[in-house]
Amino acid sequence: MALESTTAELPRLRIAVDIGGTFTDLAAFDEAAGELRFGKALSTHDKLVNGIQNTLDGAGVAFRDAHLFLHGSTIAINTLLERTGARTALLVTEGFRDIYEIGRVNRPDAYNLFFRKHVPLVDRSSRHEVHERLLASGAVHKSLDEDHLRSVVRSLKPKGVEAVAILLLHSYRNPAHEVRVKQIVEEELPGVFVSASHELSQEYREFERVSTVAANAYIGPRVATYLGELSEHLDRHGFGGAFFVVQSTGGLFPVEHAQRDCVRMLESGPAAGVIGTQAICEGLGLTEAIAFDMGGTTAKAGVIYEGKPLTTGSALLGGYEQALPIQIPMTDIHEVGTGGGSIARLAQGNALRVGPQSAGSMPGPVCYGRGGTEPTVTDANLILGRLDPEHFLGGEMRLDLPAAERAMREKIADPLGMDLLSAADGVLRIAVTTMSYAVKAVTTERGLDVGGFTMAVYGGAGPLHASAIAREIGIRRVLIPYSPGYFSAYGMLFSDLRYDYVRSCFRRLGTVDFAELEALYAAMEGEGTAAVEGSSVRPESIVLERAADMRYVGQEHAVTVELPRELFEQGDREAIKRHFDAQHAIRYGTSAPGEPAELVSLRTTVTGVMRKPPRHTVPAGGAEPDPEALSRRKPVYFGELLDTPVYERDRLKAGNRIAGPALIEERASTTVLAPGDALEVDSAGNLLIAIGSDAR
Amino acid sequence: MNVNVKTAQAKAAPAVDPVTVEIVRRGLLSVTEEMKTNLMRTAYNLIIYEALDFTVGLFTKEGETLSIGLGLPMFIRGMSETVRAKIRHFGYENIHPGDILVTNDAYTTGSHLNHFTFTMPVFHDGELIGFTCCMAHWLDVGGTLGTVTTDIYSEGIQIPIVKYQRRGEINQELVDIIAMNVRLPEKALGDLRAQIVAVTTGERRYLELVNRYGWQAVHDSFRVIMDQSEALARANTLNIPDGVYEAESFMDDDGLDVGEPVPIRVRIEKRGEEMTIDLSDVSRQVRGFYNSGVTTGIACAQVAFKCLAAPTDYPVNEGSFRPLKVIMPMGTVVSAERPAPMRVWMTYPMTVIDTIFKAMAKAIPDRVAAGHHADLVFPNIHGINPADGKFYIVGIGPLGGGWGAKATEDGVSATVCINDGDTHNSPSEQLEAKFPVLVERYVLREDSGGAGRNRGGLGCEMVVQALAPFQLTTRIDRVHCKPWGLEDGGEAAGNGIGLRRDGKWETEYPNAKVFNVRLKAGDAYMMRSGGGGGFGRATERDPQLVARDVREGYVSRQVALDSYRVVIEGDGTVDAGATQALRARTDIAPTAVAVVADDTGPQLDMTPG
Repeated sequence: MALESTTAELPRLRIAVDIGGTFTDLAAFDEAAGELRFGKALSTHDKLVNGIQNTLDGAGVAFRDAHLFLHGSTIAINTLLERTGARTALLVTEGFRDIYEIGRVNRPDAYNLFFRKHVPLVDRSSRHEVHERLLASGAVHKSLDEDHLRSVVRSLKPKGVEAVAILLLHSYRNPAHEVRVKQIVEEELPGVFVSASHELSQEYREFERVSTVAANAYIGPRVATYLGELSEHLDRHGFGGAFFVVQSTGGLFPVEHAQRDCVRMLESGPAAGVIGTQAICEGLGLTEAIAFDMGGTTAKAGVIYEGKPLTTGSALLGGYEQALPIQIPMTDIHEVGTGGGSIARLAQGNALRVGPQSAGSMPGPVCYGRGGTEPTVTDANLILGRLDPEHFLGGEMRLDLPAAERAMREKIADPLGMDLLSAADGVLRIAVTTMSYAVKAVTTERGLDVGGFTMAVYGGAGPLHASAIAREIGIRRVLIPYSPGYFSAYGMLFSDLRYDYVRSCFRRLGTVDFAELEALYAAMEGEGTAAVEGSSVRPESIVLERAADMRYVGQEHAVTVELPRELFEQGDREAIKRHFDAQHAIRYGTSAPGEPAELVSLRTTVTGVMRKPPRHTVPAGGAEPDPEALSRRKPVYFGELLDTPVYERDRLKAGNRIAGPALIEERASTTVLAPGDALEVDSAGNLLIAIGSDAR
Repeated sequence: MNVNVKTAQAKAAPAVDPVTVEIVRRGLLSVTEEMKTNLMRTAYNLIIYEALDFTVGLFTKEGETLSIGLGLPMFIRGMSETVRAKIRHFGYENIHPGDILVTNDAYTTGSHLNHFTFTMPVFHDGELIGFTCCMAHWLDVGGTLGTVTTDIYSEGIQIPIVKYQRRGEINQELVDIIAMNVRLPEKALGDLRAQIVAVTTGERRYLELVNRYGWQAVHDSFRVIMDQSEALARANTLNIPDGVYEAESFMDDDGLDVGEPVPIRVRIEKRGEEMTIDLSDVSRQVRGFYNSGVTTGIACAQVAFKCLAAPTDYPVNEGSFRPLKVIMPMGTVVSAERPAPMRVWMTYPMTVIDTIFKAMAKAIPDRVAAGHHADLVFPNIHGINPADGKFYIVGIGPLGGGWGAKATEDGVSATVCINDGDTHNSPSEQLEAKFPVLVERYVLREDSGGAGRNRGGLGCEMVVQALAPFQLTTRIDRVHCKPWGLEDGGEAAGNGIGLRRDGKWETEYPNAKVFNVRLKAGDAYMMRSGGGGGFGRATERDPQLVARDVREGYVSRQVALDSYRVVIEGDGTVDAGATQALRARTDIAPTAVAVVADDTGPQLDMTPG
C-alpha cells in the first residue's frame, strides 16, 4: 500500500494545517515514531503560506519528510464575507437577469423599516442574459443562441472580468446548455475562472443555485491562486506526497479539485473538528456524539449519529436577514454568536443581554488591557476564578483582574443591584444557555435525545463551559480531547477522501423503476470511484453509500434517508418506506405510514478510506494524579467560592481520576470541573467527564 | 372597540433575577422558532412550505402574547384575540389536557377563512399555564372560485370555535366535514397535520422550559419581559414630539365599484410616553372582499407602533403595545362585521400602516420610510394539470416590490410588503416542475423607484405563460394610489397587470383586478409591483449615485435627466458642468415625479447589457 512507508528514509509524516482567523494550527503524525506534534503560529493574512511555514518550523517538522499534506483554510469564507473576491460576471437564462438580486423577497426583520436584504456578489451591470431555455422536463424550449452568446462574452474581455458564473434554468435536469456555454466562455476568455451551476448543485431553486455558483466564481481566482502558490511552496520544500484539501463535509479532495470547486471548502475547519470528534469517539466505541467548538466570537455544534457526522444540503452564510445561500452538501453545523469576547450589557428596562456583539481580539475583553471597556464572557470567567491572571496562555499574557471587576461592577452588577460574583455568574449562565441552543438545534430539534450523547468540547474557550452546557441540556458525558486548541488540524489527520453527489429524481416510490434508480446511482458511484482512484493516494478501500431525499406525496420538504444498498437490489419498496417513515417520525415526532411516499433526490457518497494514524498514548499512572500535577489551590466560584485544586494537564497520566470541583489548565485552554463531576484521563490523554448527578 | 391599556407603575416587580429573565426570554424565542420550522418542513402546500404564509405563537393563560415567531406581522393581534375567544367560548373549566381548539371564523381571526387557527392548552402539574397557537393559510377552503365575493357565505366553509381534539382524541366527524367542503382535501389535511406538529412541538418545548426553570420563575419572567418591552416602547415614544398628526390616502376600489376610491384617513395623537392611533375615519366596510375584522384594524395600529417604537425588540409580546391606545369603531373596512366578505383581508391594512407612517413623517422624518408597494402582487391560477389530469390551484408570488426611501438611505428593492414578513416567493424552477406554466421573465422594473435625494426601491415584473389553459384571478390594488415620496421625494410606479392573448399585450386596465380570466396555452399574464417613494428632492441627489443607478440599469438616462437633472456622458460618467448648469436653471418647473416610460407591455426578447 502506498501509505505504508514507515522506514526512516521514506517520508513518514502526515501533516495537517488549519488556518483560522487568528491562528494557524498544525498537527503532524509521525508514523515511524507513532507520535503527534502540534504547532501554532499567528495567521499571516497578507501571505498565508508564511503562517503555514511558521507552524512547521515551530513544530520542527519539514515538508520533505511528509507523504501527505492536509489543509483547511478560512480563505474561501473570508473572501466571501469580506467581499474581496474577483471581478465576476454572471451569465443567466434570458428573463432572469435579476433573480440573484431579487432573491426570495422575504423580510424577516419584519418591523424594522431599516431592514436591508442580501447584496449580490455580482453587480447588475455584470449580469448578462443568455438566449436559451429549457423546460422543467429538461427538454429544449429554445435552443442556445451561440452567436449572441459569443458577442456577450467578448464584451466581457475589455471589462477585465476575472471569473464567470453560469446559471441556466433547469440545468439540474439537463446540463447540456450550461456545458456548452462554459466551453464557449473558456474559448473566448482563456485564463478566466469559469463555473457552471450544475457542477456544484443539481437541485432546483434557481436563486439558491445562482448564489452558489456566483460565490464559487467570486472566490475562485483568489482561492485557486492561493492553493497554487501553496503547491509551489510545497514543491520548493521538497514535498513529494499528496496534497488534499478539506471540504465542508469533512472529507478530503485533491488540491486540483479544490481549485475548481472552491465553494466546497467554505467550512473546512469546523467540519474537520467534527471529523476529529468522530475519530476519537470511534476509538472509545461511542456512536452518538456532539462536537462543540467555542472560540472568541462564536460557538458551533455538529453531531455524530450512528457513527457518522450528520450533513445538510445547504447553508445560509452571513446571517439570516442578508444571507447568501450555498446549496451543496456540508456538515450540519449550527453556530451562535457567543464566544469568549461576547459583551454583556444592559438593554432598556435593565434587561441583561450577552452577545452577539463581541469585543473580538481587538480591543478584546477588559482584562486583556488593550482598551476594552465592556465586560465580556472572558472577564466573567476571570472574576469567578476560572481563568487566572498569572496563568493565561501559559503565563505569557497577564490578565487585569481589577479592571474586569470594575467593568462588571459598574456596567452590570450595580445597576442590577447584584453582587459582583452573582453578576459574573449570571453572564456565564446566559452565555451557556445561548450556546445550549446551538447544541439543541442539531440534536433535539432533529428529534435526537441528547441523553445518550457524549459531548466533545474544544476550541480555546469551550472547556471552560463544557460542564455547564452539559448540565443545561441534560448531557451526562463530556470529553475534552487531547490538545483542544489544535483540534481542527488534529481532526484532518483522520479525514477520508470523499465525493458527494445529488441528483434530482422525482418519482413515486410505489411505481418507480428500480432499473432507472440503479442507473442513476451507478453513474454517480462510477464518477466518484473514478475520482477516488484517480487521486495520487491509494485508499485502503472504497465505500459507496446511498441515500434518498424522500417525502410524503404532496409535501415539499424532504428528509434524507440513508438506505442500505441491498434494498435497491431487492427492489424492496416496503422496506424503503419503513426507513422513511421512521426518519420522519424521528425528525418531526410524527409519521404517516398509510400515506404514499415519493423520491425527490438521490444522494451518493463515495469515500476513499484512508489509513488512519494509530492512536497515540500518554504514560499510564494511578487513580491519584502525581503530586506535581497539582499546580496550586485557589477559590473558584460555583454558586459560592470553593477551595479548588488546579492541575496541569501536561502532567496528568492515563488512569488519573479527579473529582470536581477542579480546574485543569493547559496552554491554550482551561477545563472547569464542577462539583459533582468526575473526570478520568484515558490512554490517549483525553479527559472523560461524568457530569454530576445533580444534572437533569 | 377601544383597546386601552393599564399603567405599569402600580405593580410590584416580581422577585425573579435578571439572569433567569434573559434565559426565559431566549427560551421563548426558541420555542416559537422551532414551531415555525416544524410546520414549514412538514406542510403540503407551497403557500406554507415555500411562501411561509403562517404565524405561530405562545400565549399566557389569559391569552396575552408571549412570543410570536417570524410570520405575518398583521396577525400579531388576531392570534391573541383568537386564543381569548376560544377561552371565552369554552371557559377554563371545559379546556382539558390533550384538547386542541380550532376555528377559521373570519370575524374572530380578523382575516379570511383560509386561516385555520389551532390552539393547544398547555398544562403543568394539572394547571393550565398557557397556550400554543398556529395559524396557517390553507390553499382552498371551498366557496366560489376566483370571483369577487360579496358575503362570507360564498367564501367557503366556516368552522366556529370547536375542538379538533378532545383529551387526545381526534374529532373525526369535524375532519370529515372539512374534507368534503374543500377542493383539495388531501393537501388540506396534510397541512392540518403539519399545524398539529407545530402546536404539539410548542407544547413540548414550553414544558421543557417550565420544567427546567420552575413555573414560578418562568411565570415571573414573563411579567418582567413584558415590562421591559413596555419600558423600551415608552422611551422611544417619549422622544417623538408631542402633537396631533394626520394623513390620508386611498385604495383604488373594492373590485365591484370599479374606479370608486376607498378613503383611508388616520389620526395620531402623541402625548408624553403614550400614543393614540385613531382609525375612526378609515372607510366604512365595502361590498367587495377587501374587508378585515377588528383585530386586524387594531393590528394595523400595533404594527405601525412597533415599527416606530420597538422595531427590533423580541420576542414580539404584549408589553410593547401598552403605551398605545387604538380607537377603532366597528363597521370600517378594517373592523368589518358579519357578513362582510373578507377573502382579500390583507391588502387594505398595509396601506393603513403606510398612511400612519406618512402622518408620523411630519414628527419623526428620520424614523419612517416613504410609501411602499403595499400589495402581495399574488395572482391565483387554477386549472387541470395535463401531467396528471388533476385539478390544481396555485398562487404565484408574492412578487416583492419596492420600499420607500428614508432620510438616511435608499429604499430596498424587490422585498415583500409590510404584511408579509418572512414570506418567500416561489422559485420558478419549482413552479414549472409542478404546474403547466413557463416563467418568461422575473426582473426589476427600471425607473419604478421614486426619485429623491434617496431613491425608492424598485418593483418587479413577472411574465408567466400558460402551457395549458388556466383561469387567472388578480386582486391587486395601489395602481392609482402610487407609493408616495416624503419631503419632496417623487412618487414611485404603482402596481399593475397585463395580459397577452393571441400574442397581443393589453396593459390598459381600470384597476389591477381580473377575475377568472381564461388563458389558453401560449397566452401569458404579467404582474408588476410598484416601487418605493423617494425621500428628499431628486435634484439634491449625488450625481455620482445617479450615474451608478444609470450604469446598473436602475434608472434610465431620461429619468436621470428629467427628474434628477444629471447629465450623463456616453461613457456613463457625470458631466459635472452640464449637471450643475441644469440644476441651476429655474425656468424648468421642478418635477420630482419619476417618469415610468415602459407602459406598453414588456419586450420579450431582452438583449443583455
